[in-house]
Amino acid sequence: MAERPSILARTWSTPVILIAILAVLALAAYFAGSNPFNQTIIEIFIRVVLVVGLYVFIGNSGVISFGHIGFTCLGAYMTAWLTMLPAIKKSKLKGLPDIILNNKLDYGWGLLAATIFAGVAAYVFGKVLMRLSGIAASIATFAMMAVIIQVYSNWDSVTGAQSSVVGIPIVRTVWPYFACAVAVVLVAYAHSISRSGLALRAARDEATAAAASGVDIPRERLIAFVISGAIMGLGGALFAHSVGVVTPDTFYLGLTFITLSMLVVGGMNSLSGAVLGVVVLSIIIQLLRWLEKGVDLGGATLSLPLGVQEIAIGVVMIAILMYRPSGLTRNRELVWPSKRLSGGTKASAPADGKTA
Amino acid sequence: MVQSLSASGVSVSFEGLKALSNVTLDVPREKVTGLIGPNGAGKTTLVNVLTGFQKPTSGQVTLDGEDIAGVPPHQVRQKGIARTFQSGRLFSDLSVLDNLEVTGAGLGLSRGVAAKKADDMLEWIGIGHLAERMAGGLPYTDERRVAIGRALMLEPRYLLLDEPAAGMSAEEAVELTRLIRRIVAEVKCGVLLIEHNIGLVLNICDHIHVLDSGEVIEVGPPSAIKASEKVRHAYMGTQADAEGEVL
Repeated sequence: MAERPSILARTWSTPVILIAILAVLALAAYFAGSNPFNQTIIEIFIRVVLVVGLYVFIGNSGVISFGHIGFTCLGAYMTAWLTMLPAIKKSKLKGLPDIILNNKLDYGWGLLAATIFAGVAAYVFGKVLMRLSGIAASIATFAMMAVIIQVYSNWDSVTGAQSSVVGIPIVRTVWPYFACAVAVVLVAYAHSISRSGLALRAARDEATAAAASGVDIPRERLIAFVISGAIMGLGGALFAHSVGVVTPDTFYLGLTFITLSMLVVGGMNSLSGAVLGVVVLSIIIQLLRWLEKGVDLGGATLSLPLGVQEIAIGVVMIAILMYRPSGLTRNRELVWPSKRLSGGTKASAPADGKTA
Repeated sequence: MVQSLSASGVSVSFEGLKALSNVTLDVPREKVTGLIGPNGAGKTTLVNVLTGFQKPTSGQVTLDGEDIAGVPPHQVRQKGIARTFQSGRLFSDLSVLDNLEVTGAGLGLSRGVAAKKADDMLEWIGIGHLAERMAGGLPYTDERRVAIGRALMLEPRYLLLDEPAAGMSAEEAVELTRLIRRIVAEVKCGVLLIEHNIGLVLNICDHIHVLDSGEVIEVGPPSAIKASEKVRHAYMGTQADAEGEVL
């Protein structure tokens, strides 16, 4: 029989399409040149990083994590510590080690350190949590986030406790965010076609059979947890540099809710779903924000009460769960049309149906 | 070194209820060993013990002389003991090819090599045309063959088949018999066949163990099992008479 093309040759169009979508957004921001619009696109790229980070673990393992935003918090504070001016740190965050207090790094180093730090934290937590499965694992991840947030909300000398940490260098150009989103999409794609990704998806479908096929499930889960934790840390650092301020509250239930909604709406089990979920829900959020501010309709001002955003997202998520539980993408990947590239080709239906 | 997968004196109890008591069984290489018994006799529990899914309360499980009781399932597979499940348990969201590749990945192959081996295996079983189908929508018989292919990846030393003929027509069962013979002859593994289809078991097995209420009540070649009064009484007596006719 003919030699089968490699997995890369069969699926490369997915990341290319997703990156093309991101590139269109980046170019739109570049040519529009307006500050609010630029900031909106930056927000979308940060969410792409976060939601793709969630996908790497949740999508491939099938274990819902409510705690990943904890890693985002770790990343945001890490880059804040490294990149703020020593003068500000000495007055607000006196408890930091001297070497950090007296130095200031470029934000690029901040991003890198945030990624590594969150990845290491994910490894430490994951070593324990990945022994659990199902709902117990989900609740444990939630507890993990609560622990992280509590530490950061109360360790006054290092995190400033509940007060905002201000003075983080702000990066306003869209390109670093675009580059990170592209890199994260590529990493998630590489993981999903790797043998570790395949083994993890097998365990998601049928854990017993996966173990009987030689798959070390806790190990494969831990690999995905570390990669996704690191990505979440990067997302947190990008967030910190996009607004220049962090507080522990920023990284708690609100952000958890929005990012998980985006993943669910797009389709939890596919990378394309993660990216599309961000784009679609971000458009809805943006429209509602605009309406919340009030639109002038020939004299009468139409404005929605505050909070409609979250309500709308909740409604959209419930509707998707009811009518299209596999999300907008139906858990499929976007592939180049006209070629049969996906594994899900529908060959001729068998004459004899499946008997129970 | 002893070339066999053996349980000796294995007992399993769940909350005081004895599922297996003092079971001794030997699965030699390049032979088909049968395991029969009425429903609830403990056949699947024994398979679970042999594959690491169930830790025995007491007793020993040895693989070619090495004690493997308490070794987790994925390591048991890595050591060369493969199994199938009564309910198929394919990875329904993956393609048939990927289902086989998973075993390759679990055993440490790169995806490229695993895909090559998976393709070869599908061809060997005669279902190469199914490679790109999603496993979730397969008809029953194909599902069984894919499950066997997945278990056979990288030629395990032992293969445990848990009711592979359940729900198959007579013709399909004959085809399965042929496949099992080829597995023994070409892959050279020891096969443990758990089956309700007594005709199939008597036809293909070199040696048969009969399990009843968690105990081995008879061991021997098919002729001895056929003639055994004990087996007829304990096992056939409880089954429909129609199955007695097969004997």
